Amino acid sequence: MDVPLTDERLRTILQVMANTGIERAADGLSEMIGQRINMTVPTITVVPIASVPERIGGAESMVVGIYLAAEGEMSGHVMLILSYEDAMRLVDLLLGQPEGTTTELGDPLCRSALAEAGNIAASFFLNGVASALGVSGRPSPPAVIVDMAGAILDIMLVTAGQLGDEVLLLESLFERAGRELRLFFWVLPDLLPLRSLTKESG
Amino acid sequence: MEQVITVGLGEVAVSGQSEAVLVAFGLGSCVGVTAYDPVRKVGGLLHAMLPQRRNGDKNLTKYVDSGIPELLSKLLALGAKREQLLWRYAGGAQMLTAPGLSDRFNIGAQNVVMTQEVMGHYLLRVLSQDTGGYQGRTVRLFIADGRVLVRGISGSERQL
Repeated sequence: MDVPLTDERLRTILQVMANTGIERAADGLSEMIGQRINMTVPTITVVPIASVPERIGGAESMVVGIYLAAEGEMSGHVMLILSYEDAMRLVDLLLGQPEGTTTELGDPLCRSALAEAGNIAASFFLNGVASALGVSGRPSPPAVIVDMAGAILDIMLVTAGQLGDEVLLLESLFERAGRELRLFFWVLPDLLPLRSLTKESG
Repeated sequence: MEQVITVGLGEVAVSGQSEAVLVAFGLGSCVGVTAYDPVRKVGGLLHAMLPQRRNGDKNLTKYVDSGIPELLSKLLALGAKREQLLWRYAGGAQMLTAPGLSDRFNIGAQNVVMTQEVMGHYLLRVLSQDTGGYQGRTVRLFIADGRVLVRGISGSERQL
């Protein structure tokens, strides 16, 4: 790799991206469901690819992933991951129904509500990054996938795997006040455009 | 007493211990390739992510084309006989089917094609396979008898 992941200027850029982008994403979701979503302080970690599935409870656990690719100057992958139960709670919140109304996610309306949540979070994230760093990106149409965590993560990891054995992950946990809803927000940035940014500013 | 050995993304494991069960959890577009020598009772499992090794990458087991020969040589070192080895593989699903995204990301199909090619190239004896589709799989190889079980999210487990 041209610029090591530990490069100080790159880390600064990533931290700004994480702080601003993830905060905006939480704002977007809060607005959408009409209830405050709190976020943990975003972390930027460099982790071995093989260890990633463990971070969300094991490769075989059944989860819902809402995936979008970011394209443009700021490119990469954005994914929201939540447990099946929490995904059903989120659908109820999004559709303004009492909790417990949704009992399965097969219905196209549920999928489309979840896709929209991903869309909002990713768009707000990218807008936040654009305003903080001046690099723009736009999200692809969202895909909603219900499967084993490992299988869903393959989507993000195969691209990163072409570049190395480690991935750089921006990670935050979103929680609804009261903690009945936990949602991982992951961003796997393409580093090449960011590296050119470190050169320009240097 | 079963002893589960997890084979993570881009990893390989081999064993000759009868209580060992080698497992690749949640394969999506990845492929899990198993080989078993029923006479020597040794076997191995590869969890490969990508079809083709990039120049100079030292991590051979991340790729199908370099991972299969690596699995073979580890098994031979453990006492397996090449002509006795029975091969099976599973995985290579297409995890992303959203409009406008799918083709670009169909790494699963590429992994399956490469697995077939490598099996043919090294004249390896393939007994069965379960590939493609749109869902993840967990693959288990039992060293005691060489059984391979595949499970999807529906929870049903079938023998490969």
